[in-house]
Amino acid sequence: MKKFVMFLLALAMVLALVACGDDEKPANDNQSNNSSSSNSSSNTTKEETKEVVNGKFTTKRTITVEIYDRGNDGGSDPENNMYTDYIKKGMLEKHNVEVVFKKVPRWTEVDDINNLLAANQAPDICVTYSYPTILTYANMGGVLDLSKLVEDNKADLPNLWNWLEDTNILWDKDPDTGVLWAIEGKRNETERIVTFMRQDWLDKLGLKTPTTKAEFEKCLVAFRDNAKTLLGADADKMIPFSVSYDIGWRASNLIESFVDPNVTEKEFYTLGFDDRMLTQKSTKDAIKLLNKWYNDGLLWKDFALYGSGDTTEDSYLKAGYVGAFTHNWDYPFRNGADSINANLAREVGPEAKFVAVDCFENAAGEYKKWLYSSAGDRKIFFPATNDEPLASMYYLDFISTPEVIAYLQMGDKGVTHEVLESGAIQIIGATGAAIQNSGKNIDYTITCNGTYYGDQALAAKSKAYGYAEIDPALVEQASNVARNDAVSNRNVNVGEIAAEAGVGDTLSAKRDQAYDNAVVCKVADFDKVWNEYLNDYLASGGQDIIDERTQKWEKYFGSATSQK
Amino acid sequence: MKKKEQMVENSLGEKRPIVKRRVPAKVYLKKYWQLYAMLSLPLIYLIVFKYAPMVYVQIAFKKYSIVQSIWKLPIADNHGFQYFIKAFKTPDFRRALKNTITLNLIDLVIGFPAPIIFALILNELCFKRYKKVVQTIAYMPHFLSWVIIYSLALQLLAPEAGMINLIWKKMGHEPIHFLDEASNWIKTYIGFGVWQNFGWGSIVYLAAIAGINPELYEAAAVDGAGRFRKMWHVTLPGIKSTIVVLLIMNLGNIISSGFDRTFAFQNNLVMKVADVISTYVYRVGIKGLQFSLTTAVGLFQSVVNVFFLLMANWLSRRLGERGIW
Repeated sequence: MKKFVMFLLALAMVLALVACGDDEKPANDNQSNNSSSSNSSSNTTKEETKEVVNGKFTTKRTITVEIYDRGNDGGSDPENNMYTDYIKKGMLEKHNVEVVFKKVPRWTEVDDINNLLAANQAPDICVTYSYPTILTYANMGGVLDLSKLVEDNKADLPNLWNWLEDTNILWDKDPDTGVLWAIEGKRNETERIVTFMRQDWLDKLGLKTPTTKAEFEKCLVAFRDNAKTLLGADADKMIPFSVSYDIGWRASNLIESFVDPNVTEKEFYTLGFDDRMLTQKSTKDAIKLLNKWYNDGLLWKDFALYGSGDTTEDSYLKAGYVGAFTHNWDYPFRNGADSINANLAREVGPEAKFVAVDCFENAAGEYKKWLYSSAGDRKIFFPATNDEPLASMYYLDFISTPEVIAYLQMGDKGVTHEVLESGAIQIIGATGAAIQNSGKNIDYTITCNGTYYGDQALAAKSKAYGYAEIDPALVEQASNVARNDAVSNRNVNVGEIAAEAGVGDTLSAKRDQAYDNAVVCKVADFDKVWNEYLNDYLASGGQDIIDERTQKWEKYFGSATSQK
Repeated sequence: MKKKEQMVENSLGEKRPIVKRRVPAKVYLKKYWQLYAMLSLPLIYLIVFKYAPMVYVQIAFKKYSIVQSIWKLPIADNHGFQYFIKAFKTPDFRRALKNTITLNLIDLVIGFPAPIIFALILNELCFKRYKKVVQTIAYMPHFLSWVIIYSLALQLLAPEAGMINLIWKKMGHEPIHFLDEASNWIKTYIGFGVWQNFGWGSIVYLAAIAGINPELYEAAAVDGAGRFRKMWHVTLPGIKSTIVVLLIMNLGNIISSGFDRTFAFQNNLVMKVADVISTYVYRVGIKGLQFSLTTAVGLFQSVVNVFFLLMANWLSRRLGERGIW
């Protein structure tokens, strides 16, 4: 009897397995059908154009669009607010396309977009900063080739082509195969990273604004030694220089200043997969100095414990415990009343503020920094599950329209901005429905990052007025520092580097581990720790990338050390 | 629910005589079909959530692509073992394997006896109300998620801003790096693990202790046994079989580890000791998109776990215990 029952149970399981297996098949076949049909979208566009009259679909289409969720205090629902309503209304009127936003947490966007893609639930229009992620999916057949789509419909996409031009649209086009997996959004502000210091602390201690690394270190030491004077009862909270787990970003000015002023374009490119410069030859020396600072008690000790997006460090900055830090060029000005400088003025006193300093000189005595290039920022791609590629293209065209960018960036007059006498736009802090979850709504203007207002002349005039509750002179000064002696890289397009696919995340994690461990180790152990972690990075795929980049460079440019 | 339990017990009780009499299957099924009907629900659960997904084990032997049906995927190189070979060649995987075993062994050595000792101590308390209060307080951490526990740990132990280190620094010492120095991290990690689980884990033992015949204690007392003698000679032997069953189940998990605990506690400075298989699989497989590789790792992990489970069970039977089946 027992045996019989066991047999029955076993049979049931086997049947279930087979049944499930069968169920899988059609489901998967459907998927592959879908992807193949959308892969051949260029064929179907011809049929679709019949359904399009003057850029407007005769029957309503629906697309989903990725939107970053920054989860900021007092922010609005990123999927449904005043600005999304504006976009939805515009798209419906202009193209008869209904837009549905799909939020993805900003600080874990790569992870999340990976998960969505793997689950076949990615939005029709995806945005990411990580090209290797796109490449990995493209190699699996998970991404649409946009080359035909942009060329065939060029006449219908005037705003997109006007705004991004060949440079950004064709930036990622493979020189051999001609495939185009992604379009590069445009950076309209190229300032990148700047170091800030508490001006009021310098004044209080009678220190000059530092202009060299040595002077900068002296200031940090002075902050440490005068904690009682500067912070009183909170002296034990003193952090002369704060960094995060992402040392490569947060010590960028320092790292850049060690780069050989005469480094060749070839060397910089072949060793430059990691945008935090881990594998550049000179980086070790920069981190050695940082390691010394750490061991001298000049750095924040808890930095490695807080992950991406954690606001602990921000709250120290706002509370006034931090003497200096390196970050995005406009970091202390962002978020109006909740900006770091506005908080300092409120909590510490009107004189308290962070001011940009320019003190990391290189071997040639210049303050060389890297700017953003107009591309290489956010990449827009369509996953293979996108069955409305044309409607999605229309969306990109719509979102690149100067008037649309202008409205999304400046909002309504009197609510989110005022027009100054000079004609410049002054952003004012908005609350409630009109609040912008990201500065100038950059999360919505996916083809445009940075002040534009639909007019470059107006943008230039207004840049310093782009931050509510912030003295425009401070912004202008930070912008000047960011652009002082600055250079930007040219696009090196040598086609796909196969070694880069699929290793981006692993290598970024290894890079952070290398930086963090090298900073906190004992001074005597530095060389050992640095070599150990760097070798681990190289062995995990870093070296393969360097080799392939070198090989591809030589294929296209021969023995030349720079592009023509 | 109650009814079901009673019926199961009844049927178990009656089983032996029935089988002996060799009742025909038809009659047997007619009589007990309700039981089997009820059994079908958990069975369906197992099939849908535990067995059906096993179809995808084949990903470990194939070159995975998100857009293709798994039945049509090409077989991986080396007769399908490409990814197993790759995993064992990867230093990160070997490190994760080593860390998983190390952390689990320490967890077992320290974490396993903790609830037993706690149950023994609780059992000796004579104030019933006090006992109840202590028990409830000890259970509570079990209901906290690891993310919350980690944020507690940060508030308490961070070198610069943690409360304990603030006091420690006020006393004139250098801060202790509980969370960002490898050897300290292991201690902290294990400590929080024990803290979270010992109260909850003691429930089973307390139940087992409650089942011990009180006459044994009386007899021991008559023979002049003190508190510790009674614990050693009556209570512990009384719960021995429970201990063995739980030990076997724990050994079955020796190379797997919960994801959230390690993931929450990890940081860049301790990855050398803190990267375990589950977090490795997440990072490399899901984030790094190497699904085949990590399915292979997951399969390897399960096979080793089953091996340990069988070994432990076999061993316990050889040593005269019941085992778990």
